[in-house]
Amino acid sequence: MKCKRLVASVVMGALFSGAAWAQVKVGVVSSSTGPVAMVGIPQKNSVPLMPTKVGNLTVQYIPLDDGSDPTASVVAIKKLISEENVDAIIGPSGSPNAMGVIQFAAEAGVPLLAPVGTAAVVLPMNEQKKWVFKTTQNDQLIADALVGHMAKSGIKTVGFIGTSDPYGENWAKVFTESAGRKGIKVVSSERFQRSDSSVTAQGLKVLMSKPDAVLIAAPGTPAVLPQITLYDQGYRGKVYQTHGAALPEFLKLGGKKVEGTVLAASLMLVLDQISDSHPSKKIAIDYVNAYEKLNGSKPATFGGNVFDAGLLLKNAIPHAAAKGKPGTPAFRAALRDALEQTKDMPATQGVYNMTAADHSGFDERGRELIAVKDGKWTLIQ
Amino acid sequence: MNAKLSPRLVLGAFLALLAAAPLFLSPFSVTLLNYIGLYAMVSLGLVLLTGVGGLTSFGQAAFVGLGAYTTATLTTMTSLPGWLAWIGASPWLTLLAGLLLTAVVALLLGSLTLRLSGHFLPLGTMAWGISLYFLFGTSESLGGHSGLTGIPPISLFGIVLDTGEKIFYLIWAFLLAAVLTTQNLLDSREGRAIRALKGGIVMAEAMGVNTSRSRMVIFLIAALHACASGWLYAHMQRFVNPTPFGLNIGIEYLFMAVIGGAGHVWGALVGAGVITLLKQWLQDILPKLLGQAGNFEVIVFGLMMILVLQRARGGLWPLLRRLVPVRVDNKHIEESAEALPRRTPPKAGELILEARKVTRKFGGLVANNNMSLEVKAGEILALIGPNGAGKSTMFNQLSGVDTPTSGEVLFMGQPVAGKDSRDIARMGMSRTFQHVKLLPTMSVLENVAIGAHLRGDKGVLSSAWRLDRAEEARLLKEAARQIERVGLGEFMHAEAGSLALGQQRILEIARALCADPCLLLLDEPAAGLRHKEKQALGDLLRKLRGEGLATLIVEHDMDFVMNLVDRVVVMEFGQKIAEGLPDEIQKDPAVLEAYLGGVE
Amino acid sequence: MEFPIALMLVQDGITNGAIYALLALALVLVFAVTRVIFIPQGEFVAYGALTLAMLQAGVVPTTLWLLVGLGVAVTVVDGVPALRAGRPGRLLGVAGWNLAYPLGLAALLSVVPLQSLPQLAQVALALAIVVPMGPQMYRLVYQPIASAPILILLIVSVAAHLTMVGMGLLFFGAEGQRTPAFSEAVLDLGPLMVPGQTLVIVAVSLTLIVALFQFFERTLYGKALRATAMNRVGARLMGISPSLAGKLTFFLAAFIGALSGVLIAPITTVYYDTGFLIALKGFVAAIIGGLGSYPLAALGALLVGQLESFSSFWASAYKEVIVFTLIIPVLLWRSLNSRHVEEEE
Repeated sequence: MKCKRLVASVVMGALFSGAAWAQVKVGVVSSSTGPVAMVGIPQKNSVPLMPTKVGNLTVQYIPLDDGSDPTASVVAIKKLISEENVDAIIGPSGSPNAMGVIQFAAEAGVPLLAPVGTAAVVLPMNEQKKWVFKTTQNDQLIADALVGHMAKSGIKTVGFIGTSDPYGENWAKVFTESAGRKGIKVVSSERFQRSDSSVTAQGLKVLMSKPDAVLIAAPGTPAVLPQITLYDQGYRGKVYQTHGAALPEFLKLGGKKVEGTVLAASLMLVLDQISDSHPSKKIAIDYVNAYEKLNGSKPATFGGNVFDAGLLLKNAIPHAAAKGKPGTPAFRAALRDALEQTKDMPATQGVYNMTAADHSGFDERGRELIAVKDGKWTLIQ
Repeated sequence: MNAKLSPRLVLGAFLALLAAAPLFLSPFSVTLLNYIGLYAMVSLGLVLLTGVGGLTSFGQAAFVGLGAYTTATLTTMTSLPGWLAWIGASPWLTLLAGLLLTAVVALLLGSLTLRLSGHFLPLGTMAWGISLYFLFGTSESLGGHSGLTGIPPISLFGIVLDTGEKIFYLIWAFLLAAVLTTQNLLDSREGRAIRALKGGIVMAEAMGVNTSRSRMVIFLIAALHACASGWLYAHMQRFVNPTPFGLNIGIEYLFMAVIGGAGHVWGALVGAGVITLLKQWLQDILPKLLGQAGNFEVIVFGLMMILVLQRARGGLWPLLRRLVPVRVDNKHIEESAEALPRRTPPKAGELILEARKVTRKFGGLVANNNMSLEVKAGEILALIGPNGAGKSTMFNQLSGVDTPTSGEVLFMGQPVAGKDSRDIARMGMSRTFQHVKLLPTMSVLENVAIGAHLRGDKGVLSSAWRLDRAEEARLLKEAARQIERVGLGEFMHAEAGSLALGQQRILEIARALCADPCLLLLDEPAAGLRHKEKQALGDLLRKLRGEGLATLIVEHDMDFVMNLVDRVVVMEFGQKIAEGLPDEIQKDPAVLEAYLGGVE
Repeated sequence: MEFPIALMLVQDGITNGAIYALLALALVLVFAVTRVIFIPQGEFVAYGALTLAMLQAGVVPTTLWLLVGLGVAVTVVDGVPALRAGRPGRLLGVAGWNLAYPLGLAALLSVVPLQSLPQLAQVALALAIVVPMGPQMYRLVYQPIASAPILILLIVSVAAHLTMVGMGLLFFGAEGQRTPAFSEAVLDLGPLMVPGQTLVIVAVSLTLIVALFQFFERTLYGKALRATAMNRVGARLMGISPSLAGKLTFFLAAFIGALSGVLIAPITTVYYDTGFLIALKGFVAAIIGGLGSYPLAALGALLVGQLESFSSFWASAYKEVIVFTLIIPVLLWRSLNSRHVEEEE
């Protein structure tokens, strides 16, 4: 143990001799390997783009991978807290991972900016969750938008296909509630594994329930397979997708077979069609361009969620710095208070507002209704 | 050589370091030690199950999950039915509930899958491992994939173990208790039976060991270890979701056991420690060496593991042990231990074994035809015949391994057919094997002591808690006595595998004698023996005859047989062609024809 | 359930089962000859599919650099002893296969217009990149411990699997890929619409099974492998080199794996880690066959395919629970019906 730490610290010293002047330390825990890697990789790749200087303070980011394993997330959080003495933590990528670390962040009094969809990380508010701030649209927010569109299009029955993981599970719950409020019935609810090579059976089951529309909830490229399967089985009705499908590869893999898909996601997909007056437009364009320059591809919105966490911190750090020195509990507590005061702060995904009772962050400006038209993302006006 | 450290001293130093660890290590290092403890507990079970018992299991993570989910559900649920609610009041009660549930599930799964032979078993464990994992994920009452939060910390004597430093002591107390009891268990009568499971099942059954029971015992122990680890995990993490209980993690536990040294109790600790620390270390060092762009940890980790296994197949523990000069103490043989009780020997001339018109057909082939023979107490009978005469088949009929197509074999007046090897052993028949069957890495003493299995009755729990020492001393003394008797005294503490083939055959005789038999079945005992050794063996067998033992020898070596035995039965083409005194047989024209004429 | 639905499920099960059958055959072969439970079999599926996807995107596949790297490693491992033994000729032979071939392939890939090549040429290139990694892997990973107990070989396989998945993530990224179908045709059989790709999969699987059978029955190398599988020591005494048998086996396994990947890439989305679960199903089938019988393994594969297809239909959330729970009685039945031989370790 000791030997290992010694080696580590020597290497740290050699490579990060500049670390001494880094005054604010922020840990970033992402799942850049393992089953949730498609979420974690754009998040990790966004770290170098985040602000490194806030006022006269420099910010150092310490990225760690948790391999999509909640146990490893807890280890990473503890490492960041006790070894690195971080002032704030961004992450982890997955909902269960985030749920598992909340108490440890809260006990150490470190603000946690969680880029996950499930509202359970901030609601219902309690002593522990007051340390958590959410930087991804609530699944509820997206679901309401989709249900609104469904209701307007006269859809009465919906078939649901979701991944059997926390993402699909939460969506099944949130969407069923949301649809119920508008009198839309979920007539079939199927699950599939991300790595399944066939979802033929699930497709058949959904088709047998004869729904007016189908909603597919899966994070990243797994969202494609069910839709293509339905298409191949002759289904030509409306297909809805969640913000999990909001990435360039969706169009590439789906091709003609995903034409007409409707989804709700942040404005990042349709920046060129957003009016210049939208407060997020410029920030998002800058982020997307910088990301593309660094990584050679456009980011999935998951990356933007982490980048926004950086912006939230940038906004809050000056207030906290007035109350304490970075690295102290006073600073971290002040940082938390300052984050809670966030008002109308534009970022890549929308406009953030925090209140003492709700750390969800976004209002309707955090999502747009988008359709796939001629193989491109098109804003539904 | 003289600077070797006493094992007690090394263990003491290790315990002292461990006890002081939270005082001088950073909180994060203590956290890592906690995880190492949890993982080691599961891989300890695997050391027992896979490394020692030879049963590969991929499903241990599911048992960890059972422990974790039982306590998580019971302690967090508000809507428990009344008759269950009281259990949720304390984690200690839920530990009991978890262990109980795990025991039931393990018994159920074990009774199904432990019957599986060969490669079906690992796949069987994989199958229920995956099933349980997905059940955790799909049950809404268990929180689904998102999991359960708000699990309370454990309290012990009013102290709430809510930080890493506090639960550290509990985790390591659990682990050390598990390590020490496992070590105790392996060093006992039951332990020898368990160690015989890997590659020695036929032999162990012939010595009266119920190997199915032993398999179930280690399966249960491994499952309970995993369950306890899961319980601790849930209360340390205070959150559970299905991810840590999947197949990948199940494989990782096996990985830890093998890297550490699957055959060694402490290997579990080494494996869990090395893998946990290596992962952390790689996470620290690689981004600085290779840049942040990729995720090289897994790649480097995998490559390192391949290299380790290529250089050290037995895992890291044997290497480590070579570095620290710990003295290996030979087993102490308590001279004052009371001798084991012996069965009442049959009277000289009493009929011990009788074959009546035994016929064994394999399809159209008649391997034994109408064979009859008798062995009496205080006599040595030889069964001889040229190659392919059907001696081995006859031996199998006599020893109850095979059942005759017609005719019967009576041992002490009771039919042998339909009885399993254990019952026959219990009745007083003890045997050796044509192809030596012993456990090469165990000492001569321990190998021989397996023979005395049926002469002890202390079980698993008394072994684990060292309540078996008086009996154990008697068993070892008996084994030592038999070893001295057959003339292997100087090899008492050597590894059985290091003996010459001839000596291994003698060892088998000592083992058979350890059972205090009234009939000794020897399958080619003189093969591979040098002249002197043959003489010694002959002397021994004569002495045993003098003590009233009945002996049946199947043998090729004419000189050896003719100078030793009382009567000879000669077989050819599955039939008896002659029977009588050695001198008569040597002159019998049919026998001469079979042996000399049979050549060409 | 209506009849057409059942038919469609059966067809789906057969398509998946055909792939599992191919992998099961490879696993049985590898185990019989080398006693290795070849967990990284699945990675060859992913590597094959994703390498093809990269070729079709007009990019020089990153797997090529792995091939070069492995080639260098093999050249060092085999070449240094050859040089020491004063056999420069052997060094040339080693370097030819392991250095000249990958570099030649690299040169070829850098000049041809990858994107506009005919599909079959792209497939051939993908196989040319991925398949040689099989024997290279045998040389580097397994040959040094060829005589180790099965458990150690298994754990080494796990480590190799982890490494290959890690590299897969590095090479291909976390998002999945699909490739265009070999055939867009649809065969209309009354209630059943059979897509051309399904026919391609089943046809290729059957062809490969027949070809393997011919290989084992008719050719010298095939017979040598069979001999090794039946009796390792005996085969060595008869002059069959175990390392040659190993490399040949791994070549076949890598070929079957990569080809399976190429076959499924048009009908599903392939991820860097897709291979493990597919190979696991193949493994289940192989074990149902007792890790020794090719026809039983193929039947097992079809059984697994059907189980999956029907349980997805009845209760998709519980699919894996149902499939793996139903496997247990099958295993019991197989176990009771196969002769138990005490394992020698």
